[in-house]
Amino acid sequence: MSGTLLDVSHVSKIFTRGGLFSSRRIVAVNDVSFRIEAGKPEIFTIIGESGSGKTTLSRMILNIEHPSRGRLAFDGVDLAMVRSNADRMAFMHKVQPIFQNPFEAFNPLKQLDRYLFMTSRRFHGEGDPAAIELAVDGALRKVGLSLKEIRHRYPHELSGGQLQRVAIARALLADPKLIVADEPVSMVDASLRMSIVNLFKTLRDDLGISIVYVTHDLATAYYISDRIIIMQKGSVVESGDARAVLSAPQHPYSRQLRDAVLLPGVATAASPQT
Amino acid sequence: MLAILRDLLRYNLEFRIGIVLVGIVFILSVLSFFSPYPPQDVYVVPPDVPPSLTYWLGTTSRGQDVFWQLTFAIRNTLLFGFTVALISRVLALVIGLVSGYKGGWVDRVLMSLNDTFIVIPLLPVLVLFYFVMRDSMSWLMLALIMACLGWAYDARLIRSVAMSLKTREFTESSVFSGMTTREILVQEHLPYVMPIVFSTTMNNMVWSIGLEVTLAVLGFTDINTPTIGGMIYWANQHTAMVAGIWWWIAFPTIAVIMTFIGLFLLAVSMNEYIDPRSRLSRMGGAS
Amino acid sequence: MTTAAPASLADTRQPDSDRPILVVRNLQAHFRTSHFGVNRYVRAVDGISFDVRRGEIYGLAGESSSGKTTLVKTIAGAIKPPLEVVGGTIEFSFLPGYGGLHRAPPAEVARIRWRHLSYIMQGSMNVLNPVRRLRKSFDDFARPHIAGTGKQFEAAVIDHLARVKLEPSVLAAYPHELSGGMRQRATIALATICRPDFVIADEPTTALDVVVQKDVLGMIRGIQREIGSSMLFVTHDMGVHAWLTDRLGIMYAGRLVEEAATPEIFRNPLHPYTKHLIASLPRIGDDTPRKGLEGAPPNLADPPPGCRFHPRCPLAMEVCSRRVPDMIETAPGHRVACFAVNGSEAP
Repeated sequence: MSGTLLDVSHVSKIFTRGGLFSSRRIVAVNDVSFRIEAGKPEIFTIIGESGSGKTTLSRMILNIEHPSRGRLAFDGVDLAMVRSNADRMAFMHKVQPIFQNPFEAFNPLKQLDRYLFMTSRRFHGEGDPAAIELAVDGALRKVGLSLKEIRHRYPHELSGGQLQRVAIARALLADPKLIVADEPVSMVDASLRMSIVNLFKTLRDDLGISIVYVTHDLATAYYISDRIIIMQKGSVVESGDARAVLSAPQHPYSRQLRDAVLLPGVATAASPQT
Repeated sequence: MLAILRDLLRYNLEFRIGIVLVGIVFILSVLSFFSPYPPQDVYVVPPDVPPSLTYWLGTTSRGQDVFWQLTFAIRNTLLFGFTVALISRVLALVIGLVSGYKGGWVDRVLMSLNDTFIVIPLLPVLVLFYFVMRDSMSWLMLALIMACLGWAYDARLIRSVAMSLKTREFTESSVFSGMTTREILVQEHLPYVMPIVFSTTMNNMVWSIGLEVTLAVLGFTDINTPTIGGMIYWANQHTAMVAGIWWWIAFPTIAVIMTFIGLFLLAVSMNEYIDPRSRLSRMGGAS
Repeated sequence: MTTAAPASLADTRQPDSDRPILVVRNLQAHFRTSHFGVNRYVRAVDGISFDVRRGEIYGLAGESSSGKTTLVKTIAGAIKPPLEVVGGTIEFSFLPGYGGLHRAPPAEVARIRWRHLSYIMQGSMNVLNPVRRLRKSFDDFARPHIAGTGKQFEAAVIDHLARVKLEPSVLAAYPHELSGGMRQRATIALATICRPDFVIADEPTTALDVVVQKDVLGMIRGIQREIGSSMLFVTHDMGVHAWLTDRLGIMYAGRLVEEAATPEIFRNPLHPYTKHLIASLPRIGDDTPRKGLEGAPPNLADPPPGCRFHPRCPLAMEVCSRRVPDMIETAPGHRVACFAVNGSEAP
């Protein structure tokens, strides 16, 4: 079934700070528009520094924040219309998040498998326990883990990389069409990072899930993105095919970002060293 | 649970002392069931006898054995304190958690209610209730009234913890896992709130017992049900201090002080144990 | 001993071959906690030896639970229970004879602090007093070590601030009024104004935006070259190491596994862990598939016996689980601790 999976249309978010007599308007997101088509899974990357609005934008896509102007629609359904519990569950069935801090994504006082079982039960009905265990194990295997390893474990017993994988497995259990990942690997060790990033590729290629990947790291963005937008202070300054934009950025800010990458790139452009 | 108690007993001096004190008080209250004299009866023993081998803590001017009176008094007082604490904890938890998590107009309404209750002056209101209700003011009634006055302060504490928990990412994970609000509050947030609940329970008991004693000493409660305050009231009525019957006042006072100190020590030691940060450092993870 | 001067560094300065400024030998620092009957004994730093030469930037790379933060704390003398130094020595050339800052008398430590040894820490707010203007921090830290009148001191401070491109007006500001980048630059100025012999930098740019980070790193390098101090630069970010450091030491699970000149580490890593780490770094312009490492870093309270990397190592042999490999100089200036690289004959 074709059509538009995610339609972000002239979306702005304005925060007002201050009291009755003096208030400041902070334009966190300024008139952003883009679309992700259904039937054509892709990794759509939003690049920006802190204060660029990328996190606010990702939260609006997840319906955690609401836009001040403009409209976000998922599968044709305007997100502002999602109100009742049933609507919300239907929405979460299709869109799931991955958070930045793998150690905070789960309650440190509770066991991890709880979240996995809960997600499976809520989004697939209260089946018999054996079926649910199978589903949970299946999701964990897709991310390179297994239920045997994770059962009864607490978050502090696993590394950042493993926790992020559990978070991805949890998201997968809801059978989503879109995953919104906000800086998913910035707090994961460098040596473990690539397995998570590779996992996103697998999700797109093998499971047909589109991913909105929010990051400030141009190198991983280059590695897996299909399309990319670069945000500065709430506005989109450049967008297009990922490889093209990152190899030869046009906008001065994009160029600044590219030059600030410390590890020498392979191929062209004003590259720092070695 | 047992492991917790065992660890606390082994490593924490405050807990040991607290347990001993509370234990003594508790045993006293249990002994009330074995009392040879019904609590309301007077002149069952020779009055004004100092502590001796026959009457361990002496007797009162009303002809009651101080020891057995004390067992009833401490039992009723403890029950009273516990009832107030329980009811007000439940109220504080529900209002605090819901208010903190929901925010918006729910939060505003509940907190306005909360602040109203905080500023109500307790003693005048309780005295007023007494005068209005007189004889139908049983201790259960008093407990209910005090519970309704005692939740406000702690509800705000719980609310602030709930508000900070709402912004943590695992709350959002729970939402996206399909958990309902009630499940999130009970399963995810409650463990973080428990230390506050625990320490405020002890505080609340101490507060309510203190208030009850005050009221009883002044005669503003049902003085026929024996309580610590009641004993002191009767002792004052019979001018015990002037008459030299010091044991009538001293032993109830000692008993209630033991209760206070014991509860306080328990609260402090258990609190440190239950606190999520110390739990996490014991588990080995950073908080 | 020369290091190949890479075309990358604008200044092909060679470190002095004089006596090294910092000599660490067989350092062991452990955490011992006991909480309600739960005993933890974490071997955070377990036998580390390295030198930092005059005038060089020595980078320490390592991931979470590599022990690098503990190592830095130990070298800086910030040792409080439950952390204890269990063995080994730390010798600064300007504080000889004590085996470590924690063993020296407080008067000596006060003498060398800031004048010979200073720090740039991750949170600028750890150094700058949040309720005082910047000027007060400079007064507190640097004034005792700089001779001259108040006016001369102020002039010296303003002059130094210009090196990090800060206006004199920042002296009158409170820390929270400045941006993160400005605060960090102020911290760098503060740490270097007395021209110390040795600066310890612990993740100083990690919290900054990439554009600001590059600026700040440039300033750090500029100042370091100008005043000739040595630097121990600790970060998990390999890109920062590639850009800034002269020599690089790779830490894994409380031990040093490889050490060489930075370009050498990136060009020709020898230890399997380093190899995998370098190979997994993504680069713009290169989309060949990359793999992450299998497994997870070990729990330092219960580390694997022998070489701590052996459970995840593709080259693991039988001896690796029995004996700890020594750091052996395999090529000039290039040390590796690995039986697969160096062979496993008993010394």
